[in-house]
Amino acid sequence: MAMKTGDAFEAKELPEDLKETLPDVYVDDLLMTLKYFIDEEATHLWIKDVNVCARCEYKPCLYFCPVGVYSLGSNGHIQVAYQSCVECGSCRIGCPYRNIGWALPRGGFGVAFKFG
Amino acid sequence: MNSERIEFDAVVVGAGLAGAAAAMVMARGGLNVALVERGQKPGGKNYFGGAIYTHAIAELVPDFMDRRPPFERPVTEAGFWFLARDGLTRMTVQGGELNADPADAYITLRANFDAWWAQQAQEAGALLIPKTTVVDFLRKQTGEVVGVVTDRPQGEIHAPVVIICEGVNNLLAQKLGLIDHDLEPATLALAFKQVISLPMETINARFGLQDEHHGLAASVLGDVSLGLPGMGFVYTNKGSISIGLGMMLDQLAEYRLRPYDILQRYLDHPAIAPLVQGGQLLEYGGHLIPEGGYHAMPKLYTDGAMIAGDAAAMVNALHWEGTNMAIIAGKLAAETALEAHSRGDFTARVMSRYEDRLGEGFILKDLKQYRGFSRFLETHPQFMDVYPNFLNDSLGQFFSAYGKPKKELFNGMLGALTNRRSLIRAAGDIVSMARSVMGW
Repeated sequence: MAMKTGDAFEAKELPEDLKETLPDVYVDDLLMTLKYFIDEEATHLWIKDVNVCARCEYKPCLYFCPVGVYSLGSNGHIQVAYQSCVECGSCRIGCPYRNIGWALPRGGFGVAFKFG
Repeated sequence: MNSERIEFDAVVVGAGLAGAAAAMVMARGGLNVALVERGQKPGGKNYFGGAIYTHAIAELVPDFMDRRPPFERPVTEAGFWFLARDGLTRMTVQGGELNADPADAYITLRANFDAWWAQQAQEAGALLIPKTTVVDFLRKQTGEVVGVVTDRPQGEIHAPVVIICEGVNNLLAQKLGLIDHDLEPATLALAFKQVISLPMETINARFGLQDEHHGLAASVLGDVSLGLPGMGFVYTNKGSISIGLGMMLDQLAEYRLRPYDILQRYLDHPAIAPLVQGGQLLEYGGHLIPEGGYHAMPKLYTDGAMIAGDAAAMVNALHWEGTNMAIIAGKLAAETALEAHSRGDFTARVMSRYEDRLGEGFILKDLKQYRGFSRFLETHPQFMDVYPNFLNDSLGQFFSAYGKPKKELFNGMLGALTNRRSLIRAAGDIVSMARSVMGW
């Protein structure tokens, strides 16, 4: 049962008693441990078409990104905090509409793991 | 042309385990090698469990122990931890083969290890070019790859052979047509972990390790991944713990789960919390693992190019192997490049010897044999839920004195399983697991 894409994407729910056991972590506390060389001139992540996000019912990118790059702005648009990205690639592939543009940061920029 | 043409005998894209291995072997063979790395230094983009296998290192650097590799601890205890909702069953092995010196596997941190590994390639004569992202290939009109284009000004590097070790996000492989589609979410595990600092003596005491020359590597199954397909891990570094888990990307998307919430829940588990209590978070991060196996592999070569490591989906998910495959595949690609140079022929005809070499060793044999496993956990979620809980309940009952006849007790234990899954289906599960592992 491969993940359905586009408008056919369906969200699933864990049993309620299991879901309740998940804590609500403030991801910024985790990001403070990461070292970045931030490219102030260019983003390497972008939304290809904001209209696609507008009709995306479940917006899974708000959840599965391991560093919470994607958030919902007050205007209802998806905001992209590319500065926090660890370049895993999940958003490019996990977006049901493949609506996230993804490139590698320019050489030397982006995350620099100290431990890995 | 106002700039001098930059020319090498070979270019390697990515100074990870596969790339540095390839550069090392080609440089030793007398080639002028450029090892291009997009990070500030090798390892800076890499994140894993994890442990490195010495059989692969020794094949390239037989005297590796004399070269002071930045190992954390040897793996002297390894096994499975089965996590139930509020319990834990440990099944680990120590002694015997795990006492070998040097050990079969060493726990490492990639930022340190990859830098050391790339240094071996540099000492062999390869030129490391860091802070440089490869964005495209140089190709003849007839299609043969004859170098790469980087994001540096005048950043073209000419070479008759390119070894692509770009990692899991195989954008260059796609560009070259080695694979005709982007990665699929159901074939990718998103792994995320924390490195938590603790005093060495505390780690030894909490994990029952004699000293800092003893280390634990455990795969954690069950409640860790909320009953969904996935696997947790715990590795003891010298003065820190690497703890995290991997889950399939499609399920994280469909269930709309936040990785850091799942990881925190794991760290808060009553059997895990005492192990990390009082520790200080050193680093959090995440990385994709290509777990699609044999069916997800790209074409491994074309005119003037070969591909190795995560970029070629060389991962055996069940056994946590991948780093060793990357190293050996990098070496075999390098040997093929050396053969191409000696023949003066860089066409696919010679590059195909790379696939022959992979087929002779364990890499392609294992990937073929385990080709069914990547779908197995997805179609058998009971391995993440029913069985770990059964194990905990039944062992808990076995070691309790209830003041009841033992026969009643054993019937109760059997009932604990059959309430969850019939014996026939349990037997079926064992057969399907065996099929997926044995390649039947």
